[in-house]
Amino acid sequence: MSGGNQYVVAAYAVIWFLVLAYVVMLGARTARVGRQVEAISRMLDRRAAESDTPEGDDG
Amino acid sequence: MSMAVNRPRWTRQLAGLIRKDLRLELRTKETVMAMVLFSIVTLTIMQFGFGTRDDDLTRFTGGLMWVTLAFTAVLGVGRSYVAEREQRVLDGILASPVPRVVLLAAKAIAIVIYMAITELVVIPVVGIFFVKGPYWDSIGWIALVALIANVCIALSGTLFSGLALFTRARDLILPVLFLPALVPVVIAGAGATHAVVGGPHDMSEYRGYCLFLVGYAILFLLVCIATYDAVFDD
Amino acid sequence: MPSSTTDHASRRVIGARAALIWGVIAAVLVTVASVGVFLVAPEDADQGVIQRIFYFHVAIALVSLVIFAVACVAGILYLRTRNVRWDDVSVTAIRIGMLFSVLVIITGSIWAKASWGTWWVWADPRLVTYLIVVLIYAAYFVLRSSVDDDRRLRYSAIYAIAGFVSVPLSFYSVRIAQSFVHPVVFTSGGANMPGSMLIWFLISLAAMLALFIALLEVELVGRRTERALRALSLRLESS
Repeated sequence: MSGGNQYVVAAYAVIWFLVLAYVVMLGARTARVGRQVEAISRMLDRRAAESDTPEGDDG
Repeated sequence: MSMAVNRPRWTRQLAGLIRKDLRLELRTKETVMAMVLFSIVTLTIMQFGFGTRDDDLTRFTGGLMWVTLAFTAVLGVGRSYVAEREQRVLDGILASPVPRVVLLAAKAIAIVIYMAITELVVIPVVGIFFVKGPYWDSIGWIALVALIANVCIALSGTLFSGLALFTRARDLILPVLFLPALVPVVIAGAGATHAVVGGPHDMSEYRGYCLFLVGYAILFLLVCIATYDAVFDD
Repeated sequence: MPSSTTDHASRRVIGARAALIWGVIAAVLVTVASVGVFLVAPEDADQGVIQRIFYFHVAIALVSLVIFAVACVAGILYLRTRNVRWDDVSVTAIRIGMLFSVLVIITGSIWAKASWGTWWVWADPRLVTYLIVVLIYAAYFVLRSSVDDDRRLRYSAIYAIAGFVSVPLSFYSVRIAQSFVHPVVFTSGGANMPGSMLIWFLISLAAMLALFIALLEVELVGRRTERALRALSLRLESS
């Protein structure tokens, strides 16, 4: 019985597909963290701009 | 939680314990009645679910009995912390000097009693409904395996119902947590019952399943003792 | 300046280097194992090419047990220390364990189709037990999503322990029931494997173990980064 090639291919394809899908999910999470970092740095920029204009105080 | 008024602590505890006892008194009847009724309804549904009115289900006696008992157990176990769902009742109990293990034991014993009363009805009804052939001579063996399984159900049940107590949608969470853990009990209970009724009449098989259930009970007892403090660590 | 020391500290807290190292190890081992399984390992005399599913299928199955053991130990450590890092390890391990268990079921089902002609065989103890295992640990996420804060971590840890106790019970119950009903159904190689196959099985096992550790480390880095970021934004908002 050696006509089972398609099953072996299917089994390993499923393994690869699901592991990759998992990694993509991890990547999506990293992307979310990246967006949060951007938000924080925008907030910091805004804050720096606000504290710059009235006082001109930088330290 | 919104009802936690700023009363002195001792009155709160006292009120909580009194309420709990009153509820317990009222509840015992209503829980057991519901469990018995539920199990009979389930057994009836089984007959219609498995085939036409005349089919001989003797072969499936063990399975029918233990599936019914597992679902009934979920129902009963879900009621075991009804009083403690009120935050202040739980506060009262946890603040009292009663050790947590005693609380665990009390809950587990209550479940064993509820299940035993239910089985007092279910086991004969299964015999009347489904078994064509000898049944009543092996009823002692069925009672024995039911007794061991009750301890298993009570131990894992107290743990999981304690976990489900403060979750959202707890009535949905409990079966999801509890039923997968009950699968081994159903397998062993049904296997042991099948070994003495409608099956091969093999006592070594029966013994094997019973020993397995004893192992299950011991393992869950250890887990309960190890984690029970953490369940109510508020 | 304090900024450089906090930067250094957070780098140590997040610990990204382990993820990198294990990622490389996993990539190498998985590649070697794949090449070996497909091109080098000998064809099985009875089962032919289908037997090649066995290498990763069984390796993933064994590693998933290790994963749930890790989750259980991490749960115990969380209850002892109440350190949120152990909860990270526990929940991440269970997520990966779920992935692996689902893989065991799917590859096992494909194997069943290939050798018996049906997708599901209740007589195959591995298929049945992993179905129960998936159900047990799926409940973990249901539980976790329905409680908050301190209770979430505590209940998750307790369930990780109780779940791991249920796993051997399910394994054993399915197998004793099996042994009474069908004497010996299916041994899937196991002890009577020739050495040339055993080598590739062991390499596959190591590859799957490394894959687990790599995924675990990567996800832990992500979780720690998220937490560090949350702390940072809280500090910024309060300042």
